[in-house]
Amino acid sequence: MFKKILIANRGEIACRVIKTARKMGIKTVAVYSEADKDALFVDMADESVCIGPAASKESYLVADKIIAACKQTGAEAVHPGYGFLSENAEFSRRLEEQGIKFIGPKHYSIAKMGDKIESKKLAIEAKVNTIPGYNDPIAGPEQAVEIAKGIGYPVMIKASAGGGGKGLRVAYNDQEAFEGFSSCVNEARNSFGDDRVFIEKYVLEPRHIEIQVLGDSHGNYVYLNERDCSIQRRHQKVIEEAPSPFVDAEMRKAMGEQAVALARAVNYESAGTVEFVVSGATKEFYFLEMNTRLQVEHPVTELITGLDLVEQMIRVAYGEKLPLTQADVKINGWAMECRINAEDPFRGFLPSTGRLVKFQPPAEVDGLVRVDTGVYEGGEISMYYDSMIAKLITHGANRDQAIERMREALNAFVIRGINSNIPFQAALMQHPRFMSGIFDTSFIAKEYPQGFDASLVPHDDPMVFVTVAAALHRAFEDRDAEISGQMPGHERLVGDDYTVVRGEERTLVNVLPIEAGYEVRVGSECFVVHTGWQFGEILVNGTINGRPFTLQMERNGLKYRINHNGTQANVMVMSARWAELQALMPVKLPPDMSKFLLSPMPGLLREVAVSEGQEVKAGEKLAVIEAMKMENVLKAEQDGKVKKVVAKPGASLAVDEIIVEFE
Amino acid sequence: MHEIIRQLDEKRQKARLGGGQKRIDSQHAKGKLTARERIELLLDEGSFEEWDMFKEHRCTDFGMGAEAIPGDGVVTGYGTVNGRLVFVFSQDFTVFGGSLSETHAEKICKVMDHAMKVGAPVIGLNDSGGARIQEGVDSLGGYADVFQRNVMASGVIPQISMIMGPCAGGAVYSPSMTDFIFMVKDSSYMFVTGPEVVKTVTHEEVTAEELGGAVTHTSKSGVADLAFENDVEALAQLRRFIDFLPLSNREKPPVRPTADSADRIDESLDTLVPSNANQPYDMKELITKVVDEGDFFELQPDYAKNILIGFGRMEGQTVGFVANQPLVLAGCLDIKSSIKAARFVRFCDAFNIPVVTFVDVPGFMPGTSQEYGGIIKHGAKLLYAYAECTVPKVTVITRKAYGGAYDVMSSKHLRGDVNLAWPSAEIAVMGPKGAVEIIFREEKNDPEKIAAREAEYKEKFANPFVAAHRGFIDDVIMPHNTRKRICRSLAMLRDKQLDNPWRKHGNIPL
Repeated sequence: MFKKILIANRGEIACRVIKTARKMGIKTVAVYSEADKDALFVDMADESVCIGPAASKESYLVADKIIAACKQTGAEAVHPGYGFLSENAEFSRRLEEQGIKFIGPKHYSIAKMGDKIESKKLAIEAKVNTIPGYNDPIAGPEQAVEIAKGIGYPVMIKASAGGGGKGLRVAYNDQEAFEGFSSCVNEARNSFGDDRVFIEKYVLEPRHIEIQVLGDSHGNYVYLNERDCSIQRRHQKVIEEAPSPFVDAEMRKAMGEQAVALARAVNYESAGTVEFVVSGATKEFYFLEMNTRLQVEHPVTELITGLDLVEQMIRVAYGEKLPLTQADVKINGWAMECRINAEDPFRGFLPSTGRLVKFQPPAEVDGLVRVDTGVYEGGEISMYYDSMIAKLITHGANRDQAIERMREALNAFVIRGINSNIPFQAALMQHPRFMSGIFDTSFIAKEYPQGFDASLVPHDDPMVFVTVAAALHRAFEDRDAEISGQMPGHERLVGDDYTVVRGEERTLVNVLPIEAGYEVRVGSECFVVHTGWQFGEILVNGTINGRPFTLQMERNGLKYRINHNGTQANVMVMSARWAELQALMPVKLPPDMSKFLLSPMPGLLREVAVSEGQEVKAGEKLAVIEAMKMENVLKAEQDGKVKKVVAKPGASLAVDEIIVEFE
Repeated sequence: MHEIIRQLDEKRQKARLGGGQKRIDSQHAKGKLTARERIELLLDEGSFEEWDMFKEHRCTDFGMGAEAIPGDGVVTGYGTVNGRLVFVFSQDFTVFGGSLSETHAEKICKVMDHAMKVGAPVIGLNDSGGARIQEGVDSLGGYADVFQRNVMASGVIPQISMIMGPCAGGAVYSPSMTDFIFMVKDSSYMFVTGPEVVKTVTHEEVTAEELGGAVTHTSKSGVADLAFENDVEALAQLRRFIDFLPLSNREKPPVRPTADSADRIDESLDTLVPSNANQPYDMKELITKVVDEGDFFELQPDYAKNILIGFGRMEGQTVGFVANQPLVLAGCLDIKSSIKAARFVRFCDAFNIPVVTFVDVPGFMPGTSQEYGGIIKHGAKLLYAYAECTVPKVTVITRKAYGGAYDVMSSKHLRGDVNLAWPSAEIAVMGPKGAVEIIFREEKNDPEKIAAREAEYKEKFANPFVAAHRGFIDDVIMPHNTRKRICRSLAMLRDKQLDNPWRKHGNIPL
């Protein structure tokens, strides 16, 4: 076996690879950019080499620097993770030339599959189902419109070298096809240095289901079942699961065999993923693309198959035979993965950067709860890289159990300092349609057209908020009554009766301290709350009438803000008299900011598309902000006239900074 | 006898109605509570002992003789907040607009005198239209009687003003001499002259809210310490605030039990200071991670944001925190921040509250506006306050401590009791770049030499060890141990005794 390998990646995947390498007794080398010098993966590796500045173009994407790092450290092989150079055939080829093993497929397999147009041709030859489309180079936007008309709307315009939602547009009419083509070409050129794009039929009600394949250098192939990645936001996967609630055994076999046929057609060695788009109505499936690397969501496959895919990749790269045949591949239970992203679900999922003031993931439980992450409390989330900071993976005997475990794990996941999508993930885990398993890739866009508001997430047992808030409030009151210096004989007496106020709802409760907890009476019902919670802690663990719960609570003035199962509740607990007077307080509306275009995120103001005095129509482009490598176009929400352009292009903007003022 | 009791009850009922149901309703319609409702929420249930409920004014001019209302526009007495004694007066806007008459003032003076005798805070809930004009100079005399008591009580008992309605003209000077001023957003304002006078005199058009609202005074003028959303929230937070304060200067600050361990370490503090010396970080994170239960009661959060002040507890006991905030103006000291911190340090010193200072200060803010504004004198206030202060002083330098600002920020030389530094601390006259440009002026055109000199200076002075060699720093500590080290230092200092020489009073540069 290899003595030492280098990981040409960063973040959680670098940590993930290091863990397996350690288990196998292989030494590891991390390469890192200057922005990552304090990162967890650098700390975990046996050795580390700095390969340049923060921008990945000058560090993680520079093959020369990685090859030099291999030579310097004597690493025999390179694991590329995902992204960066993982699907760069040239990198794989150059490593081979230098006598360094690439822990991934051979360069020719990457090259063939990496080109969307060529891969589709290959798929057709291998008798793999494909989508109707136009695969030749396109001269310009006018031709793009003609092609789109020929295929019939809607069509998808996609960068040949693209992936992960980048360089992708959907057009429903000629104008969108025209504009989409142009912006797609631009983005492809900037992001991938390759401006070729292709156009194809956009499958309606599509599910995204992919097959994990594994091949070795001895001509052996297996498919490791499917993963369902249909829960996406703007073509970015949000939740992945294995198996798919949609796929039956027959379909699995058909898809799996086609995937293996394709892998065989390119002599694929290593782990790879064949992506299909599946029609929710007809069960027809079409080949989308093959990802010639380890996928972000590989852990769900690992949890249901019991295989360590990174280990298999290393073994295959070393020349070993696969340890199993197709007959050995089983499905054990159900696995679910939530991507935990540094983004703000309440502000259109805009990227959130900064210091992780608190980062307390749920406890890992072998085979049941797994946290793959590359960050730590006190670490910095920089604007240079992907916003995914952790993956939370749970396993259950069946889908419901995996979901239930995920809910608990999300309830226990504390992130502060930056915003995360945990509240949104938690809400998805409660969504009836998600729970039913019947959904397609438009699920999030359709269910959350106005964005996401955690206070609107329905909760199946709102008494949790009432009882826990009442119990914790009593704890605060009891402790307040323990302050020194009280008037002898006239000490503070803490009452037992309270009103719990949540919005318009008022619940009268009676709270009594008992051994290690409180008894909360609501009418004739009695809730016994036990908890080991201490003042100042966000996480509240305990039981209500013996049933365990985990939630997060923060006290702010009179309010207890409680997050549980995706619902955010603002609750006040007060005596009857306080509640009576509280009801007299005016409801204050937030100030009207509709006359301003505010920066929705911290970032660089790339462009202001309007000038003073200009009339704008709703939907018109106003400005472009760049954050986390993504260009975000800000559009007018209503018709209006520009009064003043406040911020100048090139400015670094904070959240809510005024860019344009309207009349 | 029953009849007499019934009559008393009737009299009380009448007094409790103040200016009558109609005016109470109008008060509620403005989103404001009445004077008695406010007291009810502020004090522990049933603890209020009211005095002078039947007191009435003695004015007969302008038809006032026929218009007496028991209580005369202010509700006074004492009660408890979490069992601890406080005196309170609450102006009743439903009675003559809460205007201050001679007798109204007498009621306030009575509770202040008692508070001084027994050593308990006075809390004023202000909601008054101003002087009772009908009374003329009697009313003005009433104000002055209160002012005099404010001054006598200063530093003896805590005085807190909660502005819950108008407070204009001479009336502002009583709150202004109390220790803390809180305001309620949208329903309170304070100014010496109102918008109409302003318009006549300076031709400025300004609303009452802009001129003296809660937002103005907490962000622009620095007159008020905090602004709250409404009366109920304000009174809840006031109760929380009182829990931090000793009842008088004869007492140590109160102790409230906590389960937060003094030994708690926080590894994330090891990465708080960025490796780039010019990159800011949020000092508030250090305070909230060090203090008991993360519970930091910040004062003046929107004013002079380059310095943080507020109360917290360490091992249950109240501590005052002062910290430079690198997020704003690099944490430098300027006129506003010096004044803000100086007054806070003096309050802590007056009331036996230990001061914990976190230092990351690049120096005093340069510029004509600062110099013309008198930074020399105002900066000296903070210097004076720290130097005069005899309560336990624990200082932790996290990063920069440059120049005169190093001396000012509770340094060893100003009788700092325990002065600690993080390994990232740089204690020097100035930053390496500036220092080299001065010391090696003749080499300034040779970038290579300058770079080498800079490295040399950095090596020599941009660390905590030079100061530690001299004993100006007692120890260089691991950031993750900061809470533990401060807790131990404070425990060691609990019975500290230090007295300044007798004098009538010092002469702080005002």
